[in-house]
Amino acid sequence: MIDFLKDKYEVIEKTTTLWKIKIEEKDLISTISFISSNGSFITLAQIACADWIEDEIFSLNYILTTEKRDKNLMVEINVSREDTQLPTLLNIFPQAEVMERDLHEMYGIDFIGNPTLYDFALENWNNTPPLRREFDTLAYVNEHFNFRAGREDNKDVKAETKRRRAEAKRLKELNATK
Amino acid sequence: MKFDLDVKGVVSPFSAVQKLFEHPNTICYPDEKKQKIDGYRGFHTNVLEACIGCANCQDVCMNDAIDMITIDEEKNPKNGSGCIPRIDYGRCCWCSLCTDVCPPDSLKLEDDCIWANSDSNNFLYMPKDK
Amino acid sequence: MQQSKNRLIKIYHGPQHPGITGNMSVELDLLGETIKGARTHVGYLHRGFEKLIERRTIIQAFTIVCRICVPEPDPNEENFASAVESLAGIEISEKAKYIRTMVLEMSRIAAQMLWMGGQSGSVGLGTVAQWSIYDRDLILDLFEELTGGRVYHMYIYPGGVRRELPDGFLDRLSQFLDYFEKKLPQYDNIFFDNGSFKKRAIGVGVINKDEALKNGYVGQALRGCGIKRDVRRDNPYLMYENLDFEIPTFEGCDVYARALVRRSEIRESIKILRQVIAQMPKEGLIMQKIPKHRKFKLPKDDTFVSVESARGEFGYYMAGDGSEKIRRMQVKGPSLIHGFTLLENLLIDEELSNVAMIMNSLGICPPEIER
Repeated sequence: MIDFLKDKYEVIEKTTTLWKIKIEEKDLISTISFISSNGSFITLAQIACADWIEDEIFSLNYILTTEKRDKNLMVEINVSREDTQLPTLLNIFPQAEVMERDLHEMYGIDFIGNPTLYDFALENWNNTPPLRREFDTLAYVNEHFNFRAGREDNKDVKAETKRRRAEAKRLKELNATK
Repeated sequence: MKFDLDVKGVVSPFSAVQKLFEHPNTICYPDEKKQKIDGYRGFHTNVLEACIGCANCQDVCMNDAIDMITIDEEKNPKNGSGCIPRIDYGRCCWCSLCTDVCPPDSLKLEDDCIWANSDSNNFLYMPKDK
Repeated sequence: MQQSKNRLIKIYHGPQHPGITGNMSVELDLLGETIKGARTHVGYLHRGFEKLIERRTIIQAFTIVCRICVPEPDPNEENFASAVESLAGIEISEKAKYIRTMVLEMSRIAAQMLWMGGQSGSVGLGTVAQWSIYDRDLILDLFEELTGGRVYHMYIYPGGVRRELPDGFLDRLSQFLDYFEKKLPQYDNIFFDNGSFKKRAIGVGVINKDEALKNGYVGQALRGCGIKRDVRRDNPYLMYENLDFEIPTFEGCDVYARALVRRSEIRESIKILRQVIAQMPKEGLIMQKIPKHRKFKLPKDDTFVSVESARGEFGYYMAGDGSEKIRRMQVKGPSLIHGFTLLENLLIDEELSNVAMIMNSLGICPPEIER
């Protein structure tokens, strides 16, 4: 299957048992159903998503495994970050249902045709989906929670060192003039 | 209801009765205590004559548990900032990364690990000077 | 008299239930005592690890990773270290590989002992748990000597391992294995050959063998159906290519076959540990030199690594972006597919009293579903 794919796409070999190809968003269902029914990569192991906010894309990796479970193939697509919509893989792989539910909650990606896109790990969450890079956890914590008192005497070590050196120098000059 | 004879399955669990005549494996705490093991990650100790106040431990701590506070009497003339570490045990996870990066090797972990207090504001720990 | 129609009753099995392997709940629709519908609910243990790692450097993130799976933390540390080494191009020494193999196999035996306590408790045999937790405690004493902590070790570091082996450690491990092998027939007498366990477990929780490989089931769910798959044999890592061990399988596809697979795996782990003790090199570097924590940068690249834990295959996807922080680390444990796709179909037409036994035999661990 890898030799067949080398004619159509650019195959990057990461290790002896891990390969990667990049495809367009519109070819997703046709390519994956072709690879899984005509070759040896028959199982979906994971759907992984990374947020590249500086290029304004999400890059989704569909990781497929062979029947003998000894080789892995990563199929990557790049989608836009706003109003993302993708077709579901539920009809080919039943395990895609729960993986897409997880991505919907954490990134806000809509999978058309998946009927189970409700709460997975969070409850009654109305803010931005948490794993997007623009959600700042430190700002959220400072706004909604109080820190425990008792740690206000923390000092900045670099400022203290400068202050003590300046103090020692001033004392030395004072003693020299006496 | 089908009845198949499984003599071994009925008789062999009774071999557990032999445990009645053996010594139990538990120890009577607090009269007997477990043997202390060298290298356990317990509470912090800091040799104040060697601590140089560089705040490497504060930089590497991933929970922001370490504060650098000033002390009144000077123990080490090489201490440039005049500060020593104090650790918040509500946040510490005892990973001992702070002891790995300490340049003069003055911050270490000892065996002791028991502290109980009814006031939850009392968990800012000053490492012992050993 | 009007006959009342049969109606389904809805109950929540969990999250506060002694028969559940952690904090999750299964919403059941019952007709009498038979289950007609099941839906899994998680979310009681979400700690947000993947978002925490975004703001921490690599060495700071290594202390978070072991807390993802509570019964068996070491495969997570090995996956993280292996992904960082593969992205940064670091090769570790042979002695470090042998020590890591030893730690992983000891952790596998400890996790199987904990499983045995859970499975027997769900059937009503409380004595087995008392014995197996004591034997697991002896392994935790060995870990305390080696790494400094009993459950969360934080020992397998990117670049090697953190501390040298203490003096006489391999002798003490050998003595423990001799003592443990003498105790294994006692477990057979009260648990695996026990007539009441066999009557309850044979023929219950039967998995459909034909769609097992395509649906992505891993671990004992496959090996209990006669399909021989194990990451240590199919896609080997560390020192497993040089070691001699079998992959046990049993036909039957039910709860009893999965229990027998685990019983054989304990014996295989003891065999592997004895070979590692005999082949451990005396000299070698424990840790390679790696840059300081604010200067250790990963290139802009991504990778996928996997490891075999006591319950199945763990997979990590990691992406770096040229800075000292990791851009994305996504964790997928064996319980994600087993807890949703497999469990909701397996529970249809089963009895209510068998739910806990089936969940324990699949090894569903909620902390790794919703890290």
